[in-house]
Amino acid sequence: MQLEALGNGAEPVRTSKIANLQEETVLSICTKTQLSDQFGFTSKPLALSIKILWLGLFGLCSITVAQQDTTKAIPADSLLIQQLQQQMATIPQQAAPAAAPRATLSTNPNMSVIGDFRATYFSPARRHLETEFHEAEFAFQSVVDPYARADFYLSLAPDPETGEFAIELEEGYLTTQTLPAGLQLKVGKFRSAFGKINVIHPHALPYIDVTSVYNNYFGEEGLNDTGLSLSWLVPNPLDFYQELTVEATRGPAENISFAASEFDRFLYLAHLKNFWDLTPNATLELGLSGSVGPSPAGFNAAIGGVDVTYKWKPLRLNTYQSVVLQTEVLWSHAKIAAREKIKSWGMYTLATYQLQKRWFLTGRFDYSNRPYNASFVERAFSGTLGWLATEFQKAEIEFKMTSSNAEERTTQVLLRSVFVIGAHGAHAY
Amino acid sequence: MKAVSGKILFATLAVLVLSGFATVSAQDKLRVVTSLPDLKSIAEFVGGEKVEVFAIATGFQNPHFVDPKPSYILKLSKADLFATVGLDLETGWVPPLLNSARNAKILKGGAGYVDASTNVPLLQVPSSVNRGEGDIHIYGNPHYWLDPVNGKIIAQNIYEALRRVAPGDQAYFQANLNKFNEQIDAKTKEWIAKMLPFKGTKIMAYHNEWPYFEQRFGLQIVDFLEPKPGIPPTPSQLAKVITEMKRDNIKIVINSPYFAAQSADLVARNVGGTVITLATSVGADPGIKTYFDLFDYNIAKMVEALQ
Repeated sequence: MQLEALGNGAEPVRTSKIANLQEETVLSICTKTQLSDQFGFTSKPLALSIKILWLGLFGLCSITVAQQDTTKAIPADSLLIQQLQQQMATIPQQAAPAAAPRATLSTNPNMSVIGDFRATYFSPARRHLETEFHEAEFAFQSVVDPYARADFYLSLAPDPETGEFAIELEEGYLTTQTLPAGLQLKVGKFRSAFGKINVIHPHALPYIDVTSVYNNYFGEEGLNDTGLSLSWLVPNPLDFYQELTVEATRGPAENISFAASEFDRFLYLAHLKNFWDLTPNATLELGLSGSVGPSPAGFNAAIGGVDVTYKWKPLRLNTYQSVVLQTEVLWSHAKIAAREKIKSWGMYTLATYQLQKRWFLTGRFDYSNRPYNASFVERAFSGTLGWLATEFQKAEIEFKMTSSNAEERTTQVLLRSVFVIGAHGAHAY
Repeated sequence: MKAVSGKILFATLAVLVLSGFATVSAQDKLRVVTSLPDLKSIAEFVGGEKVEVFAIATGFQNPHFVDPKPSYILKLSKADLFATVGLDLETGWVPPLLNSARNAKILKGGAGYVDASTNVPLLQVPSSVNRGEGDIHIYGNPHYWLDPVNGKIIAQNIYEALRRVAPGDQAYFQANLNKFNEQIDAKTKEWIAKMLPFKGTKIMAYHNEWPYFEQRFGLQIVDFLEPKPGIPPTPSQLAKVITEMKRDNIKIVINSPYFAAQSADLVARNVGGTVITLATSVGADPGIKTYFDLFDYNIAKMVEALQ
């Protein structure tokens, strides 16, 4: 959705050269003008025109001179005045010297801030309406050296109980760029490569809430953990995209299904992503996921998943129309006692249709048990209308109805405004 | 039980992975991937029979918004050379593809990375950057391949990379480059001659992507249907454009293959003018197979409309 626009990128050297050139031009005009004033012209019309000229260029001079190396010599030659006048006479009005571009060489990472503001209506409740600054996400992304790149995402969000803002490291990881044999290693804290949506930051999803199944099995924040992730582009005779990711992480701090163990037991995850171009306009992705690790109760839990995504977007007029169909199913085997295991499952299915260049409509159905309660059944229907003003701003409204066999039916209306400033890395397909 | 579920998981994945295992046959041609088909065409002229070129975008696709599909990652992972237009044109899709390509040869700083914009004299380099002005390009207007003379600079950049990657074939690439440059010189003269009678003609365009074409062929684009780059036409902007066209007696609106035609049609109807859809890239029309065809097509269209 977002673009990586400012900061580093293509050809800063050339830019700075142009900057120097233009700076020099402006400087020469500035110094010449200052000279004309020193000489004190007596001829009234000439003096007047010089004054106007002086005034007009004053702004440019004050900006430019401030940036100059003060050791530069000022040539003193009255011929310059004539040259200056000739120059001004021949310069067409619209071709005034452009100010120097500000894109300069920098090793700063690409930096961006994403705001996610929400207003919600929830029923039944004593207080129905609520506003919430859900999250401010600070991203810092850059190449580290010829071998790797790094991405940091800091999340500043209010505590759901106290409302006080606290900062936390949402993700922070190093990704190698030069391992042989189609391998790529990621180390740090990151969103686990489970399923299709776990790796996606919530602001980039086409709906506002969290799907019931992810909420019930991984929690609102999804599965996010610290450790290693190794992925491999699998060579195959049919030459389609197949990527195998294996992860070993410590066990998440706050999660429903998994937890960090006191012993040498870790969370292991594997994800196999298969991708095909069906036609130039349509693609199909099939993902298989599996994770095994210690549960909060100290036993073991395993969650498997299948995700299927079909996308259609015509290459011609590619910004006006598109369709996404997506389904994910999760199965959980959670051990709660030495001889007792709970098998449960959940799923969601969604369709997003792009109505117009900037309008998107998403409908979704959720079905989910809970990891430690297979008889609990939750169903939810939701519809989201999104308006993508530009790549840097969107507004969405979602209606959601949730019912279950254990709790009262709830109705929600959610409004969200997402906006980004700075250079935010583009999202994966 | 944990062992069982773990084994099932492992077995499933192992079967899927191993079923896909195969060796990739040795390839005698250099594998070149380009972001746009224009670079592909030029790479084919310079690389000749020594290269096999794949372009990610098609000629009728908006080059600002191409989906970074994983299948392109696969192409890039095996590429010897990658050529990009650069200047943040492809900023929404080339970086995510390169970051996942696991191919150091074609990353920035690698021997096979070609920034085709190197040494191109840029137009519209902004003096300040503010997204309030729309999708402005901070390094300058990136649609530079629409001036055939810049095609020679692109060819030179691709040649340099080919020479780095396959030094043994340098003489062959050099000969191809010289031939390409001669053809461009000859054809450019022809194209300019055809456009000469219409020098200074004022026209309108949908998006600000023609400054290089405009400068080379002596046209004057007065305004755009987009109020700001990347912002879809608004009624007030269209009204302004219509007023300007009536005032200056402008009869032509240039549209691009990837913009809906309604706005341009509406404006043309109001001023009794015509909309012409020019090719923005090789492949925009089935008949445009090479970089030369691109200008043959556009010049023919312009001349036809201006006469």
